[in-house]
Amino acid sequence: MTRLGQLEFLVLLSVLRQDEEPYASRVRQDLQENAGRTLTRGALYRTLDRLTEKGYLSWELEPSQVPERGGHPMRRLFLTENGREAVRETRDVLDVFLEGATPLLDDLG
Amino acid sequence: MRGEVPYTPPRLAVALLKWAFAKDPALPAILGDLHEDFVHRSYRHGAPTARRWFWREAVGLSAGRWIYFTRRTRERFPDRRKNMNASARFQSFLQDASYALRSIRRSPGFSLFTALVVALGVGAATAVFSVVKPLILAPLPFQEPQELVWIANVPSAGGTSLSGVTSRSSNLRDFRERATSFDGLTGYNAFFDQDAFILSGDGEPERLVGAGVADDFLDVLGVQPLHGRDFTEEEGLWGGPPVIILTHGFWRSHYDADPGIVGQTLTIDDRAREVVGVLPPEFGFASFFTPGQQVDFLLPFPISDETDRSGNTLVMIGRLKPDASPERAQAELDAIIAGLQEEQPDRWGLAARITPLQEKLAGPFKPAFLLLAAAAGTLLLIVCVNVSNLLLARAPGRAREVAVRKAFGASRTRLARQLVMEMTGVALVGALLGGGVAWGVIRLVANTTAVKVPLLDQVGMDLSAFLFGTLTALLTGFLVSIIPALHVGEGTEAAVLRSESRGSTGGRGGRRLREGLVVAEVALACVLLVMGGLLARSFRAVLDVNLGFTPGNTVAWQVRPTLDFENRQELGMFILGAVDRIEQIPGIDAVGLIDALPLGRNRSWGFRVVGQPDRDDLPSLFPHLVSPGYLEAMQIHLIEGRQLTRDDQGEAPPVVLMNESGARRVFQGEAPLGGRLLLWDGREYEVVGIVEDVKHLSPEIDSGIQVYFPYLQMPNASSLDMVVRSRLPTDQAVAVVSEALRELDPGMPTREFFTLDAKVDQSVSARRFTLWILSGYGAAALLLAALGIYGVLAQSVAERAPEIGIRRALGASSSDVVGSVMGRTLLLAGFGVLSGGLASLWAGTLLASLLFGVGATDPLTYVGMGGILLAVAALAGFIPAVRAVRVRGASALQSG
Repeated sequence: MTRLGQLEFLVLLSVLRQDEEPYASRVRQDLQENAGRTLTRGALYRTLDRLTEKGYLSWELEPSQVPERGGHPMRRLFLTENGREAVRETRDVLDVFLEGATPLLDDLG
Repeated sequence: MRGEVPYTPPRLAVALLKWAFAKDPALPAILGDLHEDFVHRSYRHGAPTARRWFWREAVGLSAGRWIYFTRRTRERFPDRRKNMNASARFQSFLQDASYALRSIRRSPGFSLFTALVVALGVGAATAVFSVVKPLILAPLPFQEPQELVWIANVPSAGGTSLSGVTSRSSNLRDFRERATSFDGLTGYNAFFDQDAFILSGDGEPERLVGAGVADDFLDVLGVQPLHGRDFTEEEGLWGGPPVIILTHGFWRSHYDADPGIVGQTLTIDDRAREVVGVLPPEFGFASFFTPGQQVDFLLPFPISDETDRSGNTLVMIGRLKPDASPERAQAELDAIIAGLQEEQPDRWGLAARITPLQEKLAGPFKPAFLLLAAAAGTLLLIVCVNVSNLLLARAPGRAREVAVRKAFGASRTRLARQLVMEMTGVALVGALLGGGVAWGVIRLVANTTAVKVPLLDQVGMDLSAFLFGTLTALLTGFLVSIIPALHVGEGTEAAVLRSESRGSTGGRGGRRLREGLVVAEVALACVLLVMGGLLARSFRAVLDVNLGFTPGNTVAWQVRPTLDFENRQELGMFILGAVDRIEQIPGIDAVGLIDALPLGRNRSWGFRVVGQPDRDDLPSLFPHLVSPGYLEAMQIHLIEGRQLTRDDQGEAPPVVLMNESGARRVFQGEAPLGGRLLLWDGREYEVVGIVEDVKHLSPEIDSGIQVYFPYLQMPNASSLDMVVRSRLPTDQAVAVVSEALRELDPGMPTREFFTLDAKVDQSVSARRFTLWILSGYGAAALLLAALGIYGVLAQSVAERAPEIGIRRALGASSSDVVGSVMGRTLLLAGFGVLSGGLASLWAGTLLASLLFGVGATDPLTYVGMGGILLAVAALAGFIPAVRAVRVRGASALQSG
């Protein structure tokens, strides 16, 4: 099985979710607003680096016309085929485990 | 205007990121992300907050990156030799650090004392760094500040009046049309403080100061309003909608920083003016352009024919295109001016001289700031010498400990490294305490309103000050350890361990070294004291200048009636009526009016002497529009001729008074009385009296040509200052005069009064500011030198106890012993004073531009300061001398 940490899993999912604008800053915002994860900039960059090294993520620099960026480019992120596979695997494992656990969880709730 | 975003992140922090992420291909995107957040934060919270945030992010990211890489490298290559070495090195570093900490804890008294001495030096240096930074070291807080230039009208022969450096509106209009080297050309009305604005509404009416600026002023500077918007082009037209932008300070003090004020109207001068914006905190208009003054709001100043008629009023500021140099722009303006002059031969006041804005603002303060920086550096050097000496003095006591460590195999390098680390630790504690010292000084400076130095409100303890302080402390820690580290573990350990003696560094060589250091310390202190002394004498000389008037026992107001008058003549009559009324109050001796009191605003007018050919050597005259009682109220003495009277008005023949030296210059030895001056209004004014010279611009500047016009004949002033001389205490005089004024005109604001003493005080404030700081440093240097001398002699007496004991046993008297110790003291101090005096001769030449009424080689200062140093040295040597007398022969020999 693929070894994906929870944060890595969420980051990969978030990249998938940004259809038109899969940029690092959007991912951070998404995690904060929709996953309740407050992430320092350094932690996000390190996670992106790790995922890139593992071959799950690739990226390219894209020139930006936004004046606030002071002429600096943006980093457009892509999930590689391996990355998609890793997300799928993790999802399947979670599915299996959740299937058995859901009734118990709901009971408690 | 180019570029829509006015904010750029701190360059140093960006450099740090570039360094930390040098190998990361994503660096450009990371910089972009941070840049974007930074700009949004600047808009929301202001640039200073955003800059602090950026620094935090940059430091955090860089540190995180470093830790991440180190850990990862270790995880990946656990067996590599290189890493083993690195790890061993790290281990030994930790060992040394913990050993250094233990040493510090073992002698807390010594460590604390050393830290305090270091704190003094680091604090002094950090304080000066913080004061100098906003004006000289940091770029001005505008967008691309290096592109901004100041365009002055070429100074006339007089050169110092505002009229001489300001330009006509038509110049700005024509330059804007024709020049291509600029992205923008703008200006503000330099005489804005002559227009008084009265805010009415709830409560007592209040006098406000509004500065007129061209509608694109903020745009050219690249200043974004904190709330609301900038002026529009339509608002900048003559008769355009009445709008204002509040300064940050006024907004906070009067409207409790409520953003809701934008869009509301204020009643100013019985006219509803809409507040369209609020300036950001980092751009207090006054702290840049008119330090020491207060500005409450900006209003549009039309660049039109109407304002052009007022003559030279504008301070012009331009933004060069990125590819344009000041030289090229200057050449272009020169060509434009030549063209205009050819098209309009009668046009006057056409000139332009370009100076980079920062140079223009900072230029006058550079010598003083450099002096302060040099003084702080000298003090820091004294601190280093002092601490080195303390360490050397302590070395013999630690010789045994060092010998034991050597015997167990510690190398001399290792021992030296431990010493350096110990001192670095102490120095860092010193930096922390020094931060407190600097913080105190900075608070004192930033809150002062008495000093006319630009950008003082921007002075503060920020991250750069913190970094500077820390680096200075580290450097200090390193410097002070060099000499002691070279001596550490000298000699063989066996010898040290065998003997019970005080060890090797206590020998003759060690003492020589320490004495040499003390001489250096005294010499450096001497330089600081002489510089301080020269400045103090200059300050005294400035205070002793005959101002030509007596500032004591006076109170002054800017008078601006709110009633309606047909013309200026009628207004004049009303004000003179008020003067009569106030003169009747018991305790009031004299009341006078003038368009602008000395040591404040100024303007100048061109003139010709009737019966003389045109003269190029004559500067413009300084006009003073006065009421008959003015000279008496100011106690300016009449030398010849008559005073002005009530009869010198309207239709009566035009007359003036002149100052003595001005009259001499104008009439070249001929009798000035009866001479005639032709003025811009086409009338000839007869000189009917000669009065004493008055220092109008500043105590240090010559009076120039001063001409006093009767206000009723030349009512050409938009506001008047009233000066009241009285025997009553100030608050009482203020109360009775205010009451009388309000009876005549209930709407007239009377709260803002000032004394001429305060005015004189403010005019010498920059000088006093430098003197204060330098005196503080001088005192600290003196103290340290005294401590140094005391330390060396006390130890020398202790070491020489056996020798002194023998001499006592052989019959030496107390006075012999005291004489020997004191002789040594004075010899050391004397050497120090002599070499310090020689160094001061050189340093004094650097100081020359700051001196007034005293030469850089003033013998009195040199002798005086040398004397003080010798006296303090003698005092410091006296205690060890007394101790030496108490040495008893037998016991000293036994303990030896």
